[in-house]
Amino acid sequence: MSEPSTTTWHPSPSDFAPKPKHKSADAITRPAMSYWQDAWRRLKENKRALFSLYLIIGLVTFTLAGPYLWTIDPSAQDLDQIGITPGANRNVTIAPAYQPWYGPTNELYYDDDNALGLTLVGDATSQAVRLAWKSTLRGPGSAPYSDQFNHGYVIYRTLFALEPSDAFGLPLMETKNHFFEDRLDLQPTDYYYTVVALDSQGLETGQFATIALTVKRVITILEAQQRGLTKNGAVVEGDQIELALHPFGTDYLGRDMLARLIYGGQVSLFIGIFAPLLYVLLGVIYGSIAGFMGGGIDQLMMRFADFAVALPFLLFMILLKVIFGIGPGESGVLPMLVAMVILLWPAPARLVRGQILQIREESYVSASQLLGASTNYLIFRHMIPNTMGVILVTITFQVPSAIFTEAFLSFIGMGVAPPTPSWGSMCNDGIKSMLTRPHELFFPALFISITVLAFNLLGDGLRDSLDARMRNRE
Amino acid sequence: MNSKSPSNSHTSAYSLSRQLGVYFLLAIVFVVGLLLVLNQLAGLMGTATQEAQAVDIANNSISAALSEEPPQLDSSKTTDASSGLVLGHVMEGLLRMDLKDRLGPAIAERWDVTPTHATFWLRKDAKWSDGQPITAADFIFAWQLALKPETGSEYASLLYPIENAEAINSGELPTSALGLSAPDPQTLVVKLARPMAFFDKLVVFPTFLPIREDFYKATQGRFGSDAEELLYSGPYVIKNWVHGASMLLERNPHYWDSTRGKLAQVNFAYITSDATATLNFFKDKRIALAGLQAENLTEALRLKWPIRRFADGTVFYMEFNHRVDRLSRNLNFRKAIQHSLDMEELVYKVTKLPGYMPGKSLFPEWLIGVEKPLREEYPASTVDIDRAEAKAYLELAQKELGLKDFPEITLLTGDNPVSNIQSEWLQEVLKKTLGLTIKIDKQIFKQRLAKMSSGDFDLLLGGWGPDYNDPLTFGDLFASWNLNNRGRYSSETMDALILTAQSATATPDRMEAFGDIQQQLFDDVVILPMYERGITYVVHPQLKGVKRRVIGASIDYTYAYIDPDA
Repeated sequence: MSEPSTTTWHPSPSDFAPKPKHKSADAITRPAMSYWQDAWRRLKENKRALFSLYLIIGLVTFTLAGPYLWTIDPSAQDLDQIGITPGANRNVTIAPAYQPWYGPTNELYYDDDNALGLTLVGDATSQAVRLAWKSTLRGPGSAPYSDQFNHGYVIYRTLFALEPSDAFGLPLMETKNHFFEDRLDLQPTDYYYTVVALDSQGLETGQFATIALTVKRVITILEAQQRGLTKNGAVVEGDQIELALHPFGTDYLGRDMLARLIYGGQVSLFIGIFAPLLYVLLGVIYGSIAGFMGGGIDQLMMRFADFAVALPFLLFMILLKVIFGIGPGESGVLPMLVAMVILLWPAPARLVRGQILQIREESYVSASQLLGASTNYLIFRHMIPNTMGVILVTITFQVPSAIFTEAFLSFIGMGVAPPTPSWGSMCNDGIKSMLTRPHELFFPALFISITVLAFNLLGDGLRDSLDARMRNRE
Repeated sequence: MNSKSPSNSHTSAYSLSRQLGVYFLLAIVFVVGLLLVLNQLAGLMGTATQEAQAVDIANNSISAALSEEPPQLDSSKTTDASSGLVLGHVMEGLLRMDLKDRLGPAIAERWDVTPTHATFWLRKDAKWSDGQPITAADFIFAWQLALKPETGSEYASLLYPIENAEAINSGELPTSALGLSAPDPQTLVVKLARPMAFFDKLVVFPTFLPIREDFYKATQGRFGSDAEELLYSGPYVIKNWVHGASMLLERNPHYWDSTRGKLAQVNFAYITSDATATLNFFKDKRIALAGLQAENLTEALRLKWPIRRFADGTVFYMEFNHRVDRLSRNLNFRKAIQHSLDMEELVYKVTKLPGYMPGKSLFPEWLIGVEKPLREEYPASTVDIDRAEAKAYLELAQKELGLKDFPEITLLTGDNPVSNIQSEWLQEVLKKTLGLTIKIDKQIFKQRLAKMSSGDFDLLLGGWGPDYNDPLTFGDLFASWNLNNRGRYSSETMDALILTAQSATATPDRMEAFGDIQQQLFDDVVILPMYERGITYVVHPQLKGVKRRVIGASIDYTYAYIDPDA
């Protein structure tokens, strides 16, 4: 034990003066970041989520800016190019206007290399294919030709080369004439025409002739001018020009797929994004109130949610259409949005309520409460950030379901009204010709898939970056 | 904690993708395995459906599909096409259409129509399927039954040409007052209410089929509801009727005409309205005949199936609403639309359905006039499609109606794919040519019928199929009193022409009236004919002699036979 110092200490007034205030202490903390800054930093690290975000921005830009860049009317019908695939040959020849044909007038040279002298008259064009043949049906013995022995002919057409004993293809017409004009859906491709003579019973005889021909696509000067195809001034008959460009092909009425995808995206993305956003928001508010209040109020609110679940969606859609005064043939997008909002909120509300109930019992909430945190602080600091994951996952899953609901309603005539397109209604139209013209289904389906995938991946990334619990793991 | 740090994302992403790959492979293996097992099970259990064989040479039998189940087969009440098809095989009336679609004898050996009477002489060897002879009394009973108000037959009005029929149908007279008599069991005399030159063409319709009174009463109200509740007069009898599933027809041993009923059995093995399913049954050789859709056409051509074509006699047209408050009442408005719509473009380029023909007239091409087809004797007028002229007519209409802008025009249409394409084409053409905005009102059949009747439309896509083989079945459609005149077109000229066509006795006079009706429809633009429907279908190569009909059984197998060499 040592002795205490004998030096005595005399306090002076300066010892009681407050210490001077420092402007800044030596910072030994990491930089302070708000919750959102941190979330954004972590989202940026997630390449997939970031890519999806850019994809969504790109899609929105595509549908909003698209109409200014690609100025083709989505309901204009290019009847010369119905159902063409992307990159199809667009060459077309200028030809005189179509004139009705009443059979060969002047002396015609008939081909003699087939049984009936079946001959193509004029050019085979997409306006018409004209055929003429001689009658070889005669009376008994060497009696000359007489109309009495003409029992008619059947004209067939097919796209595939004929082997002996094959069926002749599609019957186009039965006629007693010795000529025939075909105008049905002539595409620039090879055709095989067969003419078969009939007997007195109306049955086919063994006498037939087949010719092969290639149809040339033509357009009249007037049509070319009306469609703005004559870029550099005058054209004359026989000139080769190009038909309008359709980068994504056309649909069953010759409407430009790209323009329809742009305009269709406006409807689909509007419904797909806004409807879930609105009803999930409603659900979040409702669910968090119920969960936070608990007890009798919670019971009451949740039973009301159960009641809302039981309401039939389609019936409400119809009722709302009536209330909004929307007649047949008018767009039902607004009532669709309202119906979705007032009927689909219970699912997110339940999820959020469950989460809130769980979080309410967590120890850090109790600690916060003991330290005197206000209700607002509790909700915004602890409750909402911790439920954000569930909310975002719900939204991202509701986006595709909203797009498909819109598609279904458009299909039964309760959604968009023709000719307004939407991706869903384009899919419904395209599915009918899926086997013959797959691009009509493929492109809208692709856009829906990309949108849905992008929203899912983004939601996934958002959940990770917004989850406050994951913040401490780095 | 042994969990990986999230920052080590490359490794975790790699292991995650590998895990996903394994799950994916497992899922594929599971699905494939499940498919195989299910296929095996279906093979074990599905023996019943495999019995259907398109053409069975050993049993001289064929299989086919019905598009719908007949609701019932009581001929006095029947209205639908599938009942018509079955009745065409199991029943026979006084007269029938022959293979060349001419009116021919059936149970009546010969007949005679005068302005006051129609007389039918029945053959003695005509028998019911229980062996009893068919007599004039069976016809009298059936026709009286159809006219009884409590029967509620929708086609009772077809019997109105008979004396007192209308009064009986409205309950004013007893059924015994009907102008029918039978001097002997083999003679039926019909007293006509008004001269009707084509009464013989009417009796082909199912409502005129015979029903035997004692049998009808014995069924106690179940007549026509099942195979045992029917007595047959035709070449086939229903052997087995599994409701909703199948119907088996077998040759009627008591039938008199040996040229019909060559097949021992006609098995309607499937009842489905799904066109793709029907075509798949044909592909699998389960049925011998199937309809062809536009989307299956290329495949049918590639497989080189024998394709047939048949115009089913139905005409489709656009009707205008002629009611007072509608702007489609304006003639120049209608003319503007007439000059804008190119029906050839519609048929050849837009709908592209094989077998369809551009419409030129309300009267389809198959109707016979005096000697030649009516349309050859009285060719239909046509207009040139001309944008400028159409526009001029519209301006005139605008002036007459005193409109600043045209309001939206409502187009009432059906909800099937063909109607969709047509209405969207129409919408775009009228917008481009005339600047009109068209609202498409798609409705299911019943709802459309209600709107058609109440006049809730401006334009209407409608159609009409024939009930009997006379131009009048189309010709009286736009009479002011006809309820099928949905636009309520009313003109004294038209009514007078229709009265002439109904009551004139000389065929040339009647045909001239039809020619005038056709011209009046064109001049006044009452309707715009759009197209005549055609049907393409595929038939098994060994099945020959199948007859397609415009009136009666749309598919007639009664003359069909199997050619084993084909």
